[in-house]
Amino acid sequence: MLRREALRALLDRVTTEPIVANLGSATFDLYAAEDRPANFYTSGAMGLVSSVGLGVALAAPDRKVFVADGDGSILMNLGSLATIARMGPANLVHIVLDNHQWAETGGQPTHTAAGTDLAEVAKGAGIPHVAAVTTLEGLEEALDRAVAEDGPWCIVAEIEETGHGPRPIFNPEENLLIFRRTFVP
Amino acid sequence: MADAMAWYDSVIQSLRDHDIWLVPYVPDAAGWNVVRRLEQDPAFLTVPSAREEEAVGIAAGAYAAGKRSAVFMQSSGFGNTVNGLAQLAISHRIPVPLFIGMRGGLGEFNSVQVPAAQAIPRVLDALNIQHYAPDREEDVSKVVDGAIELCYAARYPVAVLFYSGLVGAKRATS
Repeated sequence: MLRREALRALLDRVTTEPIVANLGSATFDLYAAEDRPANFYTSGAMGLVSSVGLGVALAAPDRKVFVADGDGSILMNLGSLATIARMGPANLVHIVLDNHQWAETGGQPTHTAAGTDLAEVAKGAGIPHVAAVTTLEGLEEALDRAVAEDGPWCIVAEIEETGHGPRPIFNPEENLLIFRRTFVP
Repeated sequence: MADAMAWYDSVIQSLRDHDIWLVPYVPDAAGWNVVRRLEQDPAFLTVPSAREEEAVGIAAGAYAAGKRSAVFMQSSGFGNTVNGLAQLAISHRIPVPLFIGMRGGLGEFNSVQVPAAQAIPRVLDALNIQHYAPDREEDVSKVVDGAIELCYAARYPVAVLFYSGLVGAKRATS
């Protein structure tokens, strides 16, 4: 499964629901697939998208909130899994696109290439609904459940790294305001 | 003349007056005077966070979805927030009011608290984050009200530092 296929599967299951995208490839590929007001793109603050998604989910409990995270990033903020579990937002779906590498910096293998199992970490942190998927069909099935059933969910999706879409030019402040207007005028 | 409100009651009143709702925090002895009261108050949702940078991310997410937050932490963990402040809050112009219980000053018993405390005002200056430190209980409302107003008007983080002169020094426990 490619990152862009995984993100397409997610986009096919949302209308106005927010998606918070990790820096680098997830942001580039989400933008390329479908630039929509409810996309929150990040270009830095590596590790924080799951925390941002938790903040969105707590503030907007009536909407499913999706996070497109990466393995290198969640490895920087594993405590976030425990915080999500403790707060237990039913509307949060945390997707980790696991390419087993720090793709932005040259493809160095991350700890998931050396045996760390992020789905087991998520379970151990207390996330009640965890899925580990390796195929597009598996991801689609997990997303269908996560859309229909209460979470919080953590879906660890193994992806094949084949590069990312073009780097978009956008203004982070403008993106924040556009995203925010999908919640408040 | 009536006694001034306790400093923590003034903080809580200001948070309420400014529609602060979400309070991500890493506990510290000073801030806990505020946060433990907020935990009992249905007007607030407190979020115990594993690390201070997480708390900044959670507050940023809540603002992105239209809600106001205030982050509480101790000076010893402020350094953990710098990347989140620089690359998320400041870059995206997300207002995050920061309330920092300052160790490392008058009455400090733990030497390792000192360097972080000494660096914080200069790190905040380097990030262009305005910071204020009320030292008398009667000034707390004015400072906290003003800091929150400024933070949301400027859409930029602002810090309020609580030193031991106001909140008392943490005592060593055996």
